[in-house]
Amino acid sequence: MADPSLFRLRVWFKKQGRCAMLAHLEVARTIEREIRRAHLPFAISNGFSPHMRISLGSALPVGVGGTKECFDVFLTQYVSPQRVMEQFASACAPDLAVTSCKYVGPHDPAPSAAYPISKYELVLTRPLAHELSVPETVTVVRKKKTRILQVSDFLVDPPQVSADKTTITFSTKAQSTGATMRPDVFVCALLSGQWPEIDAACQSEGHTLGLGHMAAAVDTLTRIDQRMI
Amino acid sequence: MRDLWPQVKALLPLVEHPVRYIDHEFGTVHRSADDDPNDTSYCMIYPDTYELGQANQAVRILVNAVNAHPHMFAERAYLPAADFIDLMRAHDLPLFSMESCAPVADFDIVGITLPHELAATNVLETLDLAGIPLHSHDRTEDDPFVVAGGPCTYNPEPYAQFFDAICIGEGEEQTVEIVDAVRAGRAAHKSRKEILEDLADISGMYVPSFYELSDNETAKKTGYAVHPINPHAKQVIEKRIWEGFADSSAWEPCVVPYAELVHDRLNIEILRGCARGCRFCQAGMTYRPVRERSADNIVKSALEGLKKTGYDEVSLTSLSSTDHSQIREILTRLNKALEGTGTRVSIPSQRLDAFGVGMAELVAGKKRGGLTFAIEAGTQRLRDVINKNVTEENIFSAVDQAFHAGWHHCKLYFMVGLPTETDDDLRGIADITQRVYEAAKKAIDPRQKNRLKVGISLAVFVPKSQTPFQWDGQISPEEAQRRINIVRDAITNRGIDVSWHDPRSSFVEAIMSRGGRECGPLIEQAWKNGARFDAWREFFDEDAWRHAGDEVGIDVDSIAQRNFDFDEVLPWQHITSGVHTSFLRLERKRAEQEKVTPDCTFAGCTGCGLCTDRGIDFETQEVRHG
Repeated sequence: MADPSLFRLRVWFKKQGRCAMLAHLEVARTIEREIRRAHLPFAISNGFSPHMRISLGSALPVGVGGTKECFDVFLTQYVSPQRVMEQFASACAPDLAVTSCKYVGPHDPAPSAAYPISKYELVLTRPLAHELSVPETVTVVRKKKTRILQVSDFLVDPPQVSADKTTITFSTKAQSTGATMRPDVFVCALLSGQWPEIDAACQSEGHTLGLGHMAAAVDTLTRIDQRMI
Repeated sequence: MRDLWPQVKALLPLVEHPVRYIDHEFGTVHRSADDDPNDTSYCMIYPDTYELGQANQAVRILVNAVNAHPHMFAERAYLPAADFIDLMRAHDLPLFSMESCAPVADFDIVGITLPHELAATNVLETLDLAGIPLHSHDRTEDDPFVVAGGPCTYNPEPYAQFFDAICIGEGEEQTVEIVDAVRAGRAAHKSRKEILEDLADISGMYVPSFYELSDNETAKKTGYAVHPINPHAKQVIEKRIWEGFADSSAWEPCVVPYAELVHDRLNIEILRGCARGCRFCQAGMTYRPVRERSADNIVKSALEGLKKTGYDEVSLTSLSSTDHSQIREILTRLNKALEGTGTRVSIPSQRLDAFGVGMAELVAGKKRGGLTFAIEAGTQRLRDVINKNVTEENIFSAVDQAFHAGWHHCKLYFMVGLPTETDDDLRGIADITQRVYEAAKKAIDPRQKNRLKVGISLAVFVPKSQTPFQWDGQISPEEAQRRINIVRDAITNRGIDVSWHDPRSSFVEAIMSRGGRECGPLIEQAWKNGARFDAWREFFDEDAWRHAGDEVGIDVDSIAQRNFDFDEVLPWQHITSGVHTSFLRLERKRAEQEKVTPDCTFAGCTGCGLCTDRGIDFETQEVRHG
């Protein structure tokens, strides 16, 4: 809802280290508290339970970090971006810290829709054992519902492996319907067949979402960029 | 101290809600390289999961108290959820503290709070997972001193063999004294026993291994179930009172969690104690005298706390917040200061009268969801027996005002199994509930009629030590179910939702509240049989407890259900909250006579004995109005 009397500030932050373990709602709650601790003149919604006017970018799964995450917060007064950064400095947990900000127009797309392309970096604890083969499909099981996703519908840049075979980058895009392919689920499928003992552990525990036992080979999985098409 | 984080981190992708275990929340205090590694270390444990323990006031207050002193530091720990406990055991990973992720067993002192009667098996789970011997007498020089505190220590006997020392009363000063005694003792190379003697010298400290059970004859003669066998041990342990409470700042620095959890908001403790004198209520006896912090202090502290934590809700906590003599002023000033910030003010429960609802109106803003009223008993006769000083007029004026003011639901709390209860009292619960429903229907805005909801919740009475009902047995689980059914069947109005607490676990609460030292082996056997997280309905294992009773030769029903004689020596007689046993006895007799006793902060001293013994008085900011 565009309100021309409000100032719409887009803020970038990182979600890293231990905070990579947070779920999206936990990130949202923490961001809101950081804004309050920074004493910014945030706007409040009308209605029976007034709440802060804030809008978060696309969600990251539990266990996946990000270095270029963002949210919009609506302010009732202009505060210079430099001043905003100063006020955030002591208000943030280091692993969920604000890195930059700028004002955007009232009719710009919401942060959750503005950047459909996500670039991920996967850092392994050991070099790849074999050549990577990109799976054609990934299977997502949630609440007993199984969905099979075509990887080609989502993957825009195929995995690139570093020379020492411990870092892999790839990009995915959200479909116009908003549907996405979870990067952690894709990584599990991508790495299956690399190390027999990890495959065995994965199968015995039956983890269908998240990195699960695959985490033994994964140091970090991080969204390092979000951009427009 | 060893850092277990690499091992913890490796397992987190396999567990539910890893956010429980990551620490580094905003407001945590970490050790730095400049700190002396020889500082004495204290680990404060809440024996249940992070979600339940994080907001606990005892943990927060005591960690702050220790960290405020030189040469010592405190960290927090919680019992992980069952899935992670099992995984930790499979990987030989011991219980760890939050801040340093260090093994709990490496701390000098481990403090465990006993927040309710269903935490006993979790205490053993905590010690076992930490790799600390379960029994005090098995611990050696290198083991930590394991100390208990909290509401359940008013009958410490069931826990006696598991703890090296038990704190009775308020721990703000005592905990620091404990850490200091261990620091000095270790520096002087004292033996474990010598350090325990130093702990026993601290006021309000009970060192169970320095006492032996007395035989019946000795107990009758001395009046106590145990007698000291060490010169440092006192026959009677009097609770500690922190006399600086009223004048201290109500802003207590706190950790702001990432996780969604119970009571996640800024808590400002506005007063301590409640002297209404409900005869079933342990807190009402043990937290005396009433002490209020000032309106200036509370308003300033709440605003400072909100600014520093970023919370959008502040709760003004106490046993009876609407009894604060300046409550109207406090709420009015806070509302004004917080206007336009989307911040809510809440009070944990309100008085059951028009004044209480008026205060609820002050904090509710436009959002008026549900209100809860603790009526406790269905007839005036039984409310007089339990000294719940609430009349029908109070109840209906509260209901009328609440539904006029825009609330559409309310929940009524009752107990079943109270002393002297008859089936008429149970039908009285149904009767008053249905009349509340009719009154609400009349008062509510006609356009809101289909949103009207009235619910009741029934709990089984648990007799508590240190209360006028400490001599009364509990009804059997079958009888509890029969009485619940009477209420349920008598409520014919289908608009009323009836719910009740599972009566199966109530006997465990009664045993922990009224049992003696013989219950230690019972707890241990129940835990060995698989009991843990007893307070969680989905985990409570009745068979584990009942089989344990058979295995150790204890009739669990008898401990829970037996009426004690007035002249019987009670297992906790050597522990005192300051309220005289003669007063409790008098209150029990007045209950039988259906006579009420007023609140001393409104109507003058009622003679419980605490203030006169200690030379203190209750502290209110202004005159209280009833």
